Amino acid sequence: MEYIGEHILPGQLGRFFVSLALVGALISALGYGLAFRKKEYLHLARASFWAHALAVLGIVGTLFYLLLSHYFEYDYVWKHSSTELPLRYVFSAFWEGQEGSFILWMFWNAVLGLILMRTAKHLESGVMSVFAAVQAFLSSMILGSYLGGIKIGSSPFVLMRQTADNFGLPWTQVPDYLNKFPAFMDGTGLNPLLQNYWMTIHPPTLFLGFASTLPVFAFAMAALFSKDFKGWVKAALPWAFFSVGILGLGILMGGAWAYEALSFGGFWAWDPVENSSLVPWITMVGAAHLLLIYRNRQTGLSSAFFLALISFLLVLYSTFLTRSGVLGDTSVHSFVDLGLSGQLLIYLLFFVLIAFGAFFYRMRQFPKEKGDDNLSSREFWIFIGSLVLLVSAFQIIFTTSIPVFNQLIGKEGLVPMLDKDIAPPIEIIKHYNGWQVPFALIITLLIGFGQFLNYRKTDAARFWRSISFSAILALILTVLVAQLYDFWKEVLYLILLFTSIFAVISNLDYWLRLRKGSWQFSGSSIAHLGFGLIMAGALISNAKKKVISNTNVFLSEDLPSSENALLELGDTTRLGSYMAIWHQMREGENRKQFYDVSYYSPQPNGLLQKEFDLEPFLQMSDNMGPTPNPSTKHYWHKDLYTHVTYSSYLEPASPDGYGKEMEVRMNRGDTAIYRDHFVIMDSLKVNATANKETGQLKSVRLEAELSIVNVLGETYTANPVYFLEDDVVSYEDYYLDQQKFKFRLEDIDTETGQIVLKAYQELGEQKPFIVMKAIVFPLINLLWLGCILMVVGSFIAVVQRFKKA
Amino acid sequence: MKKTHLAIIIFIAIAVGAIIVTMSDASTYVGFEEAYKTPGTKYTVIGYLDKEAPMHYDARTQRFEFTAIDKEGKRQKVVYNQPKPQDFERSEEVTMKGYASDSGFIAEEILMKCPSKYNEQNEIAGYGTYTE
Repeated sequence: MEYIGEHILPGQLGRFFVSLALVGALISALGYGLAFRKKEYLHLARASFWAHALAVLGIVGTLFYLLLSHYFEYDYVWKHSSTELPLRYVFSAFWEGQEGSFILWMFWNAVLGLILMRTAKHLESGVMSVFAAVQAFLSSMILGSYLGGIKIGSSPFVLMRQTADNFGLPWTQVPDYLNKFPAFMDGTGLNPLLQNYWMTIHPPTLFLGFASTLPVFAFAMAALFSKDFKGWVKAALPWAFFSVGILGLGILMGGAWAYEALSFGGFWAWDPVENSSLVPWITMVGAAHLLLIYRNRQTGLSSAFFLALISFLLVLYSTFLTRSGVLGDTSVHSFVDLGLSGQLLIYLLFFVLIAFGAFFYRMRQFPKEKGDDNLSSREFWIFIGSLVLLVSAFQIIFTTSIPVFNQLIGKEGLVPMLDKDIAPPIEIIKHYNGWQVPFALIITLLIGFGQFLNYRKTDAARFWRSISFSAILALILTVLVAQLYDFWKEVLYLILLFTSIFAVISNLDYWLRLRKGSWQFSGSSIAHLGFGLIMAGALISNAKKKVISNTNVFLSEDLPSSENALLELGDTTRLGSYMAIWHQMREGENRKQFYDVSYYSPQPNGLLQKEFDLEPFLQMSDNMGPTPNPSTKHYWHKDLYTHVTYSSYLEPASPDGYGKEMEVRMNRGDTAIYRDHFVIMDSLKVNATANKETGQLKSVRLEAELSIVNVLGETYTANPVYFLEDDVVSYEDYYLDQQKFKFRLEDIDTETGQIVLKAYQELGEQKPFIVMKAIVFPLINLLWLGCILMVVGSFIAVVQRFKKA
Repeated sequence: MKKTHLAIIIFIAIAVGAIIVTMSDASTYVGFEEAYKTPGTKYTVIGYLDKEAPMHYDARTQRFEFTAIDKEGKRQKVVYNQPKPQDFERSEEVTMKGYASDSGFIAEEILMKCPSKYNEQNEIAGYGTYTE
């Protein structure tokens, strides 16, 4: 059959590029593998990696072309874009879906691969064979073909009529379906929640971060393949710092996005999806530091290998966690299972086996390391720090993996060993903080004094002399901050506050006083002081955040008081030290409902002085319903964060002033509860008349007799009537004036004999209101400043290491 | 023994500690009946919204009440002392963290799974009842 209006060619071109990318990567992997023995295969391997990289570029170009041309016959285009979608969101639409984000990841890997092809020198064969193998797996994820009934990959170039969901549906047999059905004339559009600049900048950064773990992994693998256990360290170092910087940036952007534009009420919630990108970063920080010690002192090689390998493997594991649908019950981020979990698992296991196989096989051949580390040496404490990072990462990934354990050994798991599924800890944030606060405390302490230690051995007297200045200054500052924000009761937090401030001061002191602000030492100092600021900012803003919309109304003993305040239109409500007024609801473009709230501070003369306006909004969408979007007032020393959690505009309006509808099915004698009243169905009167000539039913009159009993035991009766005549239904609703109830006999189920009863209550003159939450985050700007400094410091380190490498 | 080896052993011990503590922190998914055996103890219950029973949200007191049916089929009134989650009616599955009490199961946290947009798109694609 010929379909009218379809554009088949670009899709075929896209599929051709995918196949070319896969084949190119496979040949390149093979070629580089052979090039270990015979150098003449190098040309073939390089050429095919170039072909692969160009094919990836072709895939990217084709998908953009389809999105920009609005070819809605393509499933991906239809699902992720629409004609109304502003041009600036075409990137967001590109990587909204899983296929698009795989392509983004492949794109970055290809870019990094091309750089390494030129710079890896004698390790090229090893490094590039790993790159090509990874790319081959990734290409297969967007292949979208069936092999022996098994689906391999999910292609973004599938036509809608060819998807498994639609295959064989009647409309696929209509040649001009594109012009006939309005549903195909426009796409369903990008999820409105993702229509902001974060969605444009966050995924490319995060995926570059994921991709950046690969060079370090590939260098380690190349070293294991070629038994060159020393040469790789120098080459991998700048990449390790690059990864720390860019992956760190990606994660922090995610946090900033959550804080600025989503309603989680904070920048970090220990959500499984957040955790699974944080963990590879933590191990990469450990890897970078261990590589540094090996470079300077030739100790700790096996640990350096282990952490360098595991960071990339954890990225794969995180991909598996977030894309296989296994996190379903525990994460607020929802992911659609594309049925690729098996393939992802094979991908993960393949690299885990190869990496650890090579590692343990070669471990015996590692060069012997001399003597024991001195307790006063820098390398010993860096080593301890890396171990702390590893344990910290382990703890996070272990708890995050609980759903995986259920799949493996749970009640319905692979090998059922437990009779019940394990649920993650109830107080999840407390659980993580309980572990991670002590780890953070050790790390910040190490960051604080580590710089003052020398490699090999440190002179004790000199060490204490140089460090005492920052220690004393940090102590004074800690006392001030603790006094200001009342930290005296929480010992652990107090110590962390001190160690974080100490880390900031001592690194500044080391750089500016001891190293006279020299460029050469700036990278590590800036990155470390940035990390200290992140910790201090996270601690103060989180531990001392204050919900000011607290109502202090306790409904009963066993209920906590509500953290949300109710604001009626135009009324003044006290929120902490502010008075707040909600002025109006505005409908904004793209289905947003803005709620303008102004904050005032009461003056001694009783007047209100306006401080600032906020405009939190609800984003309406068909897929997710109304979603709150916060609005935040930023001061230098605190943020005031607000989001609307409920609004009377969301309640369905009813034309006759009755609402709060309840529908219930009842048999004779049944009881239902409606708004503190029992509704008892006593009997049903049936009157039917028949057409005398035909004998057919002419009219039916049903009258239900209901008893309505209130809490005092007083009984009222209600008799709603259902009337059917000549196929026309009419109702005689029954009104109870005192309770303002209305009952309607909606229908009768002829099979079960149950009546369908609807109850309503009069809504009356209702003033519009909103329910909102307002939180003050003190000193959260320290956190953002720290993030920027840490990333800047990491990149300075990259530049310096590249120069040395 | 080298100091580094000692350190490694200590950290392995901490890691084992993390496993044990996680396991003791971790709860199990239970039904309402199990939760009601020890009122006040916190549990995670997975169930779904009873769409036949009335749902009640009083914005003024911010008390949201609904009836949930757990996986064992038991119905239970649930009290959620926070604004009604948006689009709650459309949820397919509700994960409730909380404890049993006389006034109902007090949910402190609610996580809901909504039908994915893909399902809905299938409905649109089901335009296919068209016949020539």
